[in-house]
Amino acid sequence: MADLIELFNPAVIPPIKEVAAALITILYRPEFYSAFMATLLDSIKGVIYAAVIAIPTGILIGMFPAIERATRVTLDFGRSFPVVALMPIFVLILGANSQMKVVIITIACFFPILLQTIYGARRLEPTIVDTVLSYRIPFHLRFFKVILPAASPFISTGIKIAISISILVAVGTELIIQITGLGAQINLSRTFNEVAIAFAYVIYAGLLGVFLTTIWDQFESRLLSWYRLASKVE
Amino acid sequence: MNINFSSFFPHWLRNIVALWWLPTLGFILWWYISANSTSFFFPSLSAILSVLYRDLSSGLLVGYLIVSLSNMAIGLSYAIVLGVICGLIIGEFKMLREVTAPLLNFLRSIPPAAVVPIVIVAMGTDSPPKIFIIAMACFWPILLNTIDGVRGIPAQMLETTRAFRIPYHLMLSRVLFMGALPQILAGIRIALAAALVLMVISEFFGASEGIGFYIRNKKEAFAMAETWAGTFLVGVLGYLLSTIFLKIEHWLLAWYFQNAPEEKTKLNAVKQA
Repeated sequence: MADLIELFNPAVIPPIKEVAAALITILYRPEFYSAFMATLLDSIKGVIYAAVIAIPTGILIGMFPAIERATRVTLDFGRSFPVVALMPIFVLILGANSQMKVVIITIACFFPILLQTIYGARRLEPTIVDTVLSYRIPFHLRFFKVILPAASPFISTGIKIAISISILVAVGTELIIQITGLGAQINLSRTFNEVAIAFAYVIYAGLLGVFLTTIWDQFESRLLSWYRLASKVE
Repeated sequence: MNINFSSFFPHWLRNIVALWWLPTLGFILWWYISANSTSFFFPSLSAILSVLYRDLSSGLLVGYLIVSLSNMAIGLSYAIVLGVICGLIIGEFKMLREVTAPLLNFLRSIPPAAVVPIVIVAMGTDSPPKIFIIAMACFWPILLNTIDGVRGIPAQMLETTRAFRIPYHLMLSRVLFMGALPQILAGIRIALAAALVLMVISEFFGASEGIGFYIRNKKEAFAMAETWAGTFLVGVLGYLLSTIFLKIEHWLLAWYFQNAPEEKTKLNAVKQA
């Protein structure tokens, strides 16, 4: 409890006035822009790589029950694995640079997208499955025209989860191994005792997450407007 | 896959084989491919496991595990108590819900890892800052899921409790809490994963004990086998925790799923996540 009270000491939690001022002043700092862009671009890269690998894999796994059963334990293990724990190993193997950050983000984003895709692909209605079978629809058409659209609402949710994870992992990685980005700036400003500035960076990191999820929501409502319409009629 | 095994092997055995052949194969491949590894970065699996066994049996890692897990358990318990209570109250009053929604949405999106250095400076490198960070990270998913759970209770049910003049404390514990329980547990499952991540991050940062400290310390000493061993242990820990929690959840919600197979619990979980 004593520690909690200590937390409300002005040297630790700065007054709101100072944080508000810091929110504006850091915009004029040269390092802010590069840090912000580094976090933003690396997160987006990680989500895109993860989606490119996870969506086809997920659909293939979802199409074949035998593969789904065989991979279930492995996927459960991967899903519950805290990816940040891999960081020390990756730092030694790949070095502390932005590629390594992207690799960590990609792994962290891979599992939510993969699992959502599998569930989306498995959820196909029996009538559709039978129709596809009786018309002998070829494999590639079944993949792109039947299962991919049917799974897309689930995939979209997976990507939304992945986006918020990507920011979290990016900031965490930057924080621990000091590579350019908002996380490294938080740590630096704390070292220089600029607590208000550190808080301002924390707030911008939060806003970045809100910003990216809002953009994805807009994109999703366009992409999946057919789905929303269909479920409304239902 | 139409080979007729069924007459030879019982059902449960076939199930186990269908689930476990790939992980077993992967493990065996890893074991044999890495057996004569001379690479510094990829020590052989037998070396990793023998190091893991050595440090576990010497009690070093067991002590670290106890520290890490107790931090996690305490932090998670704080988050569950506060998250559920606040969630029930906010979910119950529409006005409170509308007033707090923008603030909650913003606070939730702040990456908890970003606060780690600030908290560590404020509270030192002992257990309390780690417990605080874990509790903070776990609070949001539990709170938001509890609010959603309370809102998802059918209006007829609430009207029935009102019509029968059920006393307030009974309504809170028997109607709101039980009605929101599936969602609350889904929130705790998300929080459990977050707790594990924050446990590791907070121990990377400023710590002198714990499993995260072990990994970081061995990495700084370039002890590759130990670093792999620690990472492997964290992975096993994550898998065990989520498997155990799924069992607890299924048991607590038996009335809700009406004894549906476990697979269904999992499906429901993914939808709610």
